[in-house]
Amino acid sequence: MSKNYLDFKRSLDLPFMRDIVIDKIYKHSKKNKDIFFATPDMGAPALDEFRKKLPGQFIHCGISEQQMISFAGGLALMRKKVFCYAMAPFINSRCYEQIKCSISAMDLNVNLIAVGIGIGYADAGPTHYSTEDICIMKVFPNITIYTPSDDFSSSVITDKIIKKNHFTYLRLDRDALPNLYNKMNFNFENGFNFLNKKKNNKVCIITCGYLTHKALQVCRLINHKVDVIDLFRIKPFPKKLISQIKKYKEVITLEEQLATGGFGASIQEKISDEKMNIKLKKFCLDDKYYFENGGREYLHNKYGLSLNKIIKYLR
Amino acid sequence: MKSKYSYLIKKSKWLRSEIFEMVVKVNQGHIASSLSQAEILISLYYGGTLNIKKNQPNYEKRDRVIVSKGHSAMGAYPIFADLGYIKKNELEKYGTPKGKLRIYGDKSIPGVETTSGSLAQAPGIASGFAYCSKRDKQNFYTYVILSDGEHYEGQLWETALFASHYKLDNLVFIVDRNKQIILGKNEELLKLEPLDKKWKSFGWNVFNINGHKYSEIIPVLKKTKKLKNGKPTLIIANTVKGKGVSYMEDVTRWHNTMPNKSQIEIARQDLKKNCIYE
Repeated sequence: MSKNYLDFKRSLDLPFMRDIVIDKIYKHSKKNKDIFFATPDMGAPALDEFRKKLPGQFIHCGISEQQMISFAGGLALMRKKVFCYAMAPFINSRCYEQIKCSISAMDLNVNLIAVGIGIGYADAGPTHYSTEDICIMKVFPNITIYTPSDDFSSSVITDKIIKKNHFTYLRLDRDALPNLYNKMNFNFENGFNFLNKKKNNKVCIITCGYLTHKALQVCRLINHKVDVIDLFRIKPFPKKLISQIKKYKEVITLEEQLATGGFGASIQEKISDEKMNIKLKKFCLDDKYYFENGGREYLHNKYGLSLNKIIKYLR
Repeated sequence: MKSKYSYLIKKSKWLRSEIFEMVVKVNQGHIASSLSQAEILISLYYGGTLNIKKNQPNYEKRDRVIVSKGHSAMGAYPIFADLGYIKKNELEKYGTPKGKLRIYGDKSIPGVETTSGSLAQAPGIASGFAYCSKRDKQNFYTYVILSDGEHYEGQLWETALFASHYKLDNLVFIVDRNKQIILGKNEELLKLEPLDKKWKSFGWNVFNINGHKYSEIIPVLKKTKKLKNGKPTLIIANTVKGKGVSYMEDVTRWHNTMPNKSQIEIARQDLKKNCIYE
């Protein structure tokens, strides 16, 4: 793992998560003609073959996200399994009411794949950032939300999504991220994984996706004196997480979302519901729109997710 | 002279009364919009063109019918009861805690193909049905009843592009063109005309008919199954909002206003007469 990978622009050596996910879906789609893949003009190298080989299962919807979602609902009512794939803000907030009525309210087997969560598309600005999607998507009663943090977890989660038939939202980072997992240390069922767990640690960081790597960097820099949980399934809320965090004095959530309503808020609610005596500190993006250049880490450093600030807080 | 369509004309009278009584019993629903679409629904379910089976709302090869103008989805419930999709006593329980019928259609009601109520989503859902029917060679048709108001939703035009591009000639939209929305007439508030030219320019077959004349609706519905020209079809069915109740006909305020006691009596008298002739 390169020492300062959080500063990378885009690695050409690592595969992109979206390609791993699409490859998996493509493999299954070849065997199952009832799997459909719809997109409002979002590409990926892995998608080229899919389009060429399975034209009846790949549907270009035009840049019409609302139509795509309702169309997907129609396919799902015909007992098809549908994947809708787009840049994050255009598949969550752009067609929000369609997701509610055409998918969620009918509990249909539609799987949304969002690419470029958080401020992954730096320096594109608020139109292309997805800094509130956890808040708005977690309110759907029947949704399952995944945020993989590496290739291995992306791959396992995609396998599971293909096997299970329900409404899911898969949040993918735009960047290729270094591997954290292998067969031995990734537990899918729990919905979360410890990436550092020491007996005497009193503080735990809970995070997901890109920021899992930042949390691990923090952890290394303070000699592993903080535990790290990769919460790759935000909803349904992992039941076992409650019993696991009970032992800590303080929980720190780290997320590339605005202050309101992210998974930090979900954990805050759980702590309150369960009457747990745990302090909670949320590190997230400052509550504002970002019209600034400099890249993802630059914005993190300036607006709430600075590595140094987190370390300072922990020391 | 007895009309060729006397069976359907009788159904018109029956359906109007059923709808009216359901609504006034619980003061819930949209009388005027349900009355304007009555002949369209009757033509679909009883007109002999569609492949549907009594008592089998989920019959695999059925032609699908969706009332996309969800506020009048309830207008189809008496038909569902008549066809044996739901029990007849469900109509009496409409809008009550013990009943399963409510104003807007949703998937929990046998006969309802999809949730409606949020305008212009059902046409998109219907495009999914039509796409599957074509690809899987299931050969069923999907009929969607749209409102005028639905045309203001951008999503409808997204579907218009999509269905045309994918040559969904098994998809038929029927506009219940009663020319009114809640606050008044479309053409005065935000004009839609020329509606036929708009749809034609999107690559659809377009028919313009009187939506209260079976002599016009039935032949067009028959045509929809013969065309097969790679184009989806739009039927503009010109109707009168509130058709059959004298004081409601084409009067804006009756979108969701409930009649008072004396108005209910007048309506009952009106509905005893037949307002459909051919």
